[in-house]
Amino acid sequence: MTFFVLGIDGASWNVIRPNLKVLKNFARLIQAGKAKEIVLREKPISAAIWCGMFSGKTVEEHGHLEFTKDGKIVKREDIPVKFIWDILKDKIDVRVLNVPFVVPPYSFNVDFRPVGFGLPSNEKEWEEELERVTETTKELLTWKPDLLISVFTLLDRVQHFHWGEPVVLEWYKKLDEKIGELVWDTGFLPSETNKLILISDHGFCSFGEAKVQTLPKRTPYGELKGDHLERAVLITVNVEEEIEQPQDVFRVLEKEFLRTKS
Amino acid sequence: MPRRKKFTTVSIPVQLFEKIKKQIENTGFPSVSSYVGYLLREVLVEAHESGEMPFAREDAEKIRRRLRALGYLR
Ligand SMILES: [Zn+2]
Repeated sequence: MTFFVLGIDGASWNVIRPNLKVLKNFARLIQAGKAKEIVLREKPISAAIWCGMFSGKTVEEHGHLEFTKDGKIVKREDIPVKFIWDILKDKIDVRVLNVPFVVPPYSFNVDFRPVGFGLPSNEKEWEEELERVTETTKELLTWKPDLLISVFTLLDRVQHFHWGEPVVLEWYKKLDEKIGELVWDTGFLPSETNKLILISDHGFCSFGEAKVQTLPKRTPYGELKGDHLERAVLITVNVEEEIEQPQDVFRVLEKEFLRTKS
Repeated sequence: MPRRKKFTTVSIPVQLFEKIKKQIENTGFPSVSSYVGYLLREVLVEAHESGEMPFAREDAEKIRRRLRALGYLR
């Protein structure tokens, strides 16, 4: 059994839902499992949400809000928490790839160099991340680890620069194809035993649509096209437990691998 | 205080090892390890100096620029 957590930074139902005809692998996964919208209790700030998702802590508890603090780039060592991989590493084979709670994103038990420091910012880098995360994840899946966590960051970055433009859907389509390669073509699914959580840290929207604005409209380099939305994507396959908030991912994994099931 | 191990092993391709070995002939470097250690120290900023391991100083600036462009750093 492999438990595969596939993270997609910034994936948003408001793009996926109306386009399920062309996002065939999203559609197929929704068919195969359960889909829902997570309404975040915390502010949709990527660093904080990914950190909570894999530490099980609220933002007050882990204290990690942004990629930088007082102008300094925050490192893994600055965050005083145990992540799920720290807790499980002696018990199971756990592989972690490109989790963007810090920049460059964090990998564990995997030799992976993030594309553009995990902040891919142009077409070439988006393509590259798509390829490299997919290829590495595919390879890891063939080793059948107990737990594999893998994250794509590109959709979020694309949306920062292009929200509202047709090109956004094009990148969703490219990612959709990669999801197909990862989940179906590798034989990971269909399966009675393998478990999948596909999850985003927040959605995306136009400025003014989010409850709290978390991105500036202008940067020293130009205009941003959209803002983080406090609604995230969740699709699970073969996972019985309910996931209401990002922190529940930690609890589900902890339960799966630490506690004996009744 | 417990004694901490001062050295550890990393793997590199044999071919690369041989190339480096050739390259350091007649230099002051006594071994491939010492040369590779030297190169890495050059590339990386030592943790106690900058607090910004494991990436180089220039990388930190590149990261900041990307964060600013994306609106993650104001
Ligand atoms: Zn974002």
